[in-house]
Amino acid sequence: MVERKRIEIPEGVKVKEVPGEMEEYPFDISPMYEGERIRKGEYFVELGGQPLGKPGFELVIALPPDQVEDMKVTIVGKDLDEMEEEGAYGLAMIYYVAGEMIEEDLEPVIERRNHDFQNYIEGYMHLQQRHDIWCRIAKSAVKKGLKSLAEIAKATMMLFKNELPFIEKIEAIYSTDEEFNKKVLDELAWPIYNARDARVEAISDEEVDEFYSCHLCQSFAPTNVCIVSPDRPALCGAITWFDGRAAARVDPEGPNRPVPKGECIDPIKGEYSGVNKYAAEESGGEYTRICLHSFFDAPHTSCGCFETIGFYMPEVDGIGFVHRGYPDVAPNGLPFSTMAGQTGGGKQILGFLGVGVAYFRSKKFLQADGGWRRVVWMAKELKERIKDYIPEEMRDKIATEEDAKTLDELKEFLKKVDHPVVTGVVREVDGQKITDGWVEEEVVEEVAEVAEAPAEATPAQPTAMPMQPMQPMQMPMQMPMPQFQMPTPTAAPAGGVKLVIKDAKIKIDKVIIRKAEEKKKK
Amino acid sequence: MVVVAVTGKGGTGKTVVSALLIHFISKVTTRVLAVDADPDSNLPDALGVANEVKKTLGDIREVFQVSRDDMGAMNKEQWLEGKIYTEAICECDSYDLLVMGRPEGEGCYCFANSLLRGVLRKLMRHYDYIIIDSEAGLEHFSRKTIDTADYIFVITDMSKKGLATAKRIKKMSKELKLDFKGIYLIGNRIMSKEAEEIIKKFADEEGIPLIGFLPYDEKIAELDMKGLPITYLPENSEFARKVKEIAELVVGASIKIN
Repeated sequence: MVERKRIEIPEGVKVKEVPGEMEEYPFDISPMYEGERIRKGEYFVELGGQPLGKPGFELVIALPPDQVEDMKVTIVGKDLDEMEEEGAYGLAMIYYVAGEMIEEDLEPVIERRNHDFQNYIEGYMHLQQRHDIWCRIAKSAVKKGLKSLAEIAKATMMLFKNELPFIEKIEAIYSTDEEFNKKVLDELAWPIYNARDARVEAISDEEVDEFYSCHLCQSFAPTNVCIVSPDRPALCGAITWFDGRAAARVDPEGPNRPVPKGECIDPIKGEYSGVNKYAAEESGGEYTRICLHSFFDAPHTSCGCFETIGFYMPEVDGIGFVHRGYPDVAPNGLPFSTMAGQTGGGKQILGFLGVGVAYFRSKKFLQADGGWRRVVWMAKELKERIKDYIPEEMRDKIATEEDAKTLDELKEFLKKVDHPVVTGVVREVDGQKITDGWVEEEVVEEVAEVAEAPAEATPAQPTAMPMQPMQPMQMPMQMPMPQFQMPTPTAAPAGGVKLVIKDAKIKIDKVIIRKAEEKKKK
Repeated sequence: MVVVAVTGKGGTGKTVVSALLIHFISKVTTRVLAVDADPDSNLPDALGVANEVKKTLGDIREVFQVSRDDMGAMNKEQWLEGKIYTEAICECDSYDLLVMGRPEGEGCYCFANSLLRGVLRKLMRHYDYIIIDSEAGLEHFSRKTIDTADYIFVITDMSKKGLATAKRIKKMSKELKLDFKGIYLIGNRIMSKEAEEIIKKFADEEGIPLIGFLPYDEKIAELDMKGLPITYLPENSEFARKVKEIAELVVGASIKIN
């Protein structure tokens, strides 16, 4: 936590104070100047930070009203009329803001508008943010009468107050003194920028009132309902909750719109009444529930853009993840493209889930289903990329293609490392045991005996045996499923296959079909 | 802002024409943006500024794709805009140059492209003239990375294929509703009256107004072979004078050469 206070200007530094409002500006102010590029040869001076190799930055600090002198500008160091033509100078733009509604959380929101407002100024170019800022003042602007940076500062402050009325008082320090800039950048600006980034990582679904939708994919996935929450970035990997918020504010009719969260129906699965309502509207009634952090119950729809796909492997009762660039088949015998083809297009498919790489960083990562404790396999490249976000207890227990390429190899690996799925997953969020683990050999026999009878009695069983959580009718026929080969009723004589049905009272949670000989080998 | 796109079948000389148009138009105003929108083109070489191009728009889009998770509280649109303005736009003496570069890789580019469109739209409106060297597929227009163009110059040589491409471009621009104000034909490396007649007839039949013919110029072939910029072509050569006339049509004034 960085303390917010007025910055002390050291003695002996050249300071010019310009209080009060300005009646008239020596330049035009209009949104039509946005994007104006002041070309080489056209600029009088260049100002800024890193791109010029100078200490410069922009920073907004929230202060109590009695510490802010409204509309005052303090110029530290050289002003515009003391600069050499075509020279480059470090520039720090520091704003103190005060207002009843202003808290530290609003600082970055206000700060990024500096770019928008400064670009309304004719003959002035502002680019980038934080310590990366780069500005140019046009020769034509100087010719027209621009003399002081205070004039730029006052115009910017006027725009801040007009456009963001919650700013009651604003004061600015514009400094071109490199020593001063460097000190403030290191001691104040960087700690504040870092704290803000940490805040982005830390903010959670509970802390906000609205999530954001994204419609960018709806042209090819019409029923896709993309919900971007603090704990669940978009599955294309591109859009975070902060991006959604920024976009929704700038363009309310654009691709990102607020979705009021509504009531929290299930905090663990991440189910909210507002999201459900929105999903029903947006998908034309196709989906009435969306749980943000669940793999098995009303999971998020998958558009087609997802960076990685998660797939459930009933044989090990665990989830694997493969990324778009992985060329081989996953242990379930399917390549990314086949799984993506089945899931994509805005569908809610149990057993498969498209996710963005950034979701692996989420503290609520599939928390309803055991989160990382349920993950058994990841393509190596993907695992390497997000290694730091895997809890240490699980890091070595998740196999890659180097450990296991097939389900049998995967089973061996999981037993060897004592993966939680083997003995049953206790989910971290509430300590509840959510899976029973792999059934012991003897028990399997017993269960199998019981299970075999009804299977024989009703030969048409296959259609009535949804291989939960995968539903056969949602699988395209051409899909290669070596490990799921369903026996046709006629080709399934007693003893030819063995059915293992677990948790049968809760409808059917799992069906394992395997050749009897294979079983005997063990 | 006047946007001119030069296109046509590969090898017909559109980069040569683009480079000379940029050369002449930037004598009138330096608020000129040259855009290389052909992944297989070499407009920077033709202009003699290849060494000054540091990054392409495609490079920056790739950096965006891989670093976007680590941007923290930074605004992604401002990040992208900043990178384009500082790294992708190459500041030459009398014009700016933007190379579109590599096509998209795997993965989803919806968000990146949606931001790019906004940034380019804001950038482009501040130039007086934008000259785009575009591949015949007009991909940047169909994807709306570049909003639209006022004039399309289709360059054709004497080959039947060159004309077929011109026809296809016209059809495509209609189908994709690209809203170009006008599509014009320019014949290049035309060496016989007979070829001129065929192209004239084609232009009439297809309703693509013909602007003129450019001659075969040995000097261009020589520069090409040596890998020298096309701007080395003497300004008083027949070829250069004819392109200058086209540039004058674009700017609506006569252009003085030194």
